[in-house]
Amino acid sequence: MDGIHDVGGKQGYGAIDVDEVDLYATGKPFNHDWEAREWGISRCARTPDINIDWWRHCRELITPIDYLGRPYFDTWVQTDFVTYVDGGFFTLEEVCSGHSASASNPLNEAPPKPMTRADAVIADRQNACRYDAEINQKPLFSIGNRVITNQHGHSGHTRLPQYARNRVGKVHALNGAHVFPDLSAQGRETHQHLYTVVFETAELWPDSEHKHDKVFLDLWETYLSLDDLSK
Amino acid sequence: MVEFNAKKVTELHQHLHSHLPSESALRVKALETLLLEKGLINSESIDAWIEAYTEDIGPKRGAHVVAKAWNDADFRQRLVQDGSSAIDELGYLGNATGHLKVIENTESIHNLVVCTLCSCYPFSILGIAPAWYKAAAYRSRAVRDPRGVLAEFGVQISNDVEVRVWDSTAELRYLVLPQRPSNTDALSEDELASLVTRNSMIGTDRDLLKKDEVKA
Repeated sequence: MDGIHDVGGKQGYGAIDVDEVDLYATGKPFNHDWEAREWGISRCARTPDINIDWWRHCRELITPIDYLGRPYFDTWVQTDFVTYVDGGFFTLEEVCSGHSASASNPLNEAPPKPMTRADAVIADRQNACRYDAEINQKPLFSIGNRVITNQHGHSGHTRLPQYARNRVGKVHALNGAHVFPDLSAQGRETHQHLYTVVFETAELWPDSEHKHDKVFLDLWETYLSLDDLSK
Repeated sequence: MVEFNAKKVTELHQHLHSHLPSESALRVKALETLLLEKGLINSESIDAWIEAYTEDIGPKRGAHVVAKAWNDADFRQRLVQDGSSAIDELGYLGNATGHLKVIENTESIHNLVVCTLCSCYPFSILGIAPAWYKAAAYRSRAVRDPRGVLAEFGVQISNDVEVRVWDSTAELRYLVLPQRPSNTDALSEDELASLVTRNSMIGTDRDLLKKDEVKA
């Protein structure tokens, strides 16, 4: 999707807030209490049966003015509301009124048990998801191959940024087969070889003064073709 | 049933744009209220997660990993080979670090991490990301003008040093292993860890304080 989220290389966003206080040094990692609440909610609320790719796509689909204008964790809140409505847990009327129209749990299960801080630390460890799997197909490319990225994206979720399309890079590493986000965001879990591809700055930004600096991206096999010079 | 229908979701966003309260705090409150009323969450667990990411999980974990790598060549080798299983030895494997890659700074290489498509971050070893990391200014510029970004952070990179930017486009997460400051041979692992800044593990800091610059 050629959306507002794909900001790599886009210009006009101005200076970085480098003077931001390191909140962990102050003992409180959140700027506002509401950010902390949203973080906690995102960690432990029951959700419809969705995956990270569909959630990311829902976040990308936020109205551009809200995507850029609202604080980061507020865009998580917005995405959560949408996925809860889309998943049938909330109705739009309930969201607008701020209250549940019925006390029944949409999953027909007992409310989750209260957790302690120690439980959360353990649960975080159990959250170390892996996305790779063994597949029968052998990787099409090897380390050192020159590859060219697709010229076009598509209207759904994809992880090939615009700035790296139709560009020639070199395979830097093979990472095994990982869940392919473009199909995962449509509810279909398949695995595809994932490569780390390195691009010289000159290939991405011809006007760069430091042509031999490098940008590395992790790209799935169908985003890539063997470049003619490698054949 | 989730329909994975982008058109429907776009319409929902537009609807919510006009119907949700405008203030962020009220929006979160509304979300928490609905989840509580439907028995999908409880407040104690939200508190527990906030406490865990305030007290237990944060950049001090990453700093420990770096200090241990400086001090223990075998650990360093395991860390660079398979970041996830090496941090698991310390109990730090967790959210977003199932595929952790550790990239080493050297005299001639400087590494910088970004996520241009969202704001991917190795939560279980660095905790909550700074706001600048999630802002469009950093995300847009890091891949196009990394030296300019670094200069803004006060980091000057000489022309003989290669800058490598890592855009987290998949589920791999990156941790920069900064160079060990000189004259730190006598320091304990804890003392070494105290020299490691959060930004140095993202790559927006490079030369960590030397021992003689640390106050006694």
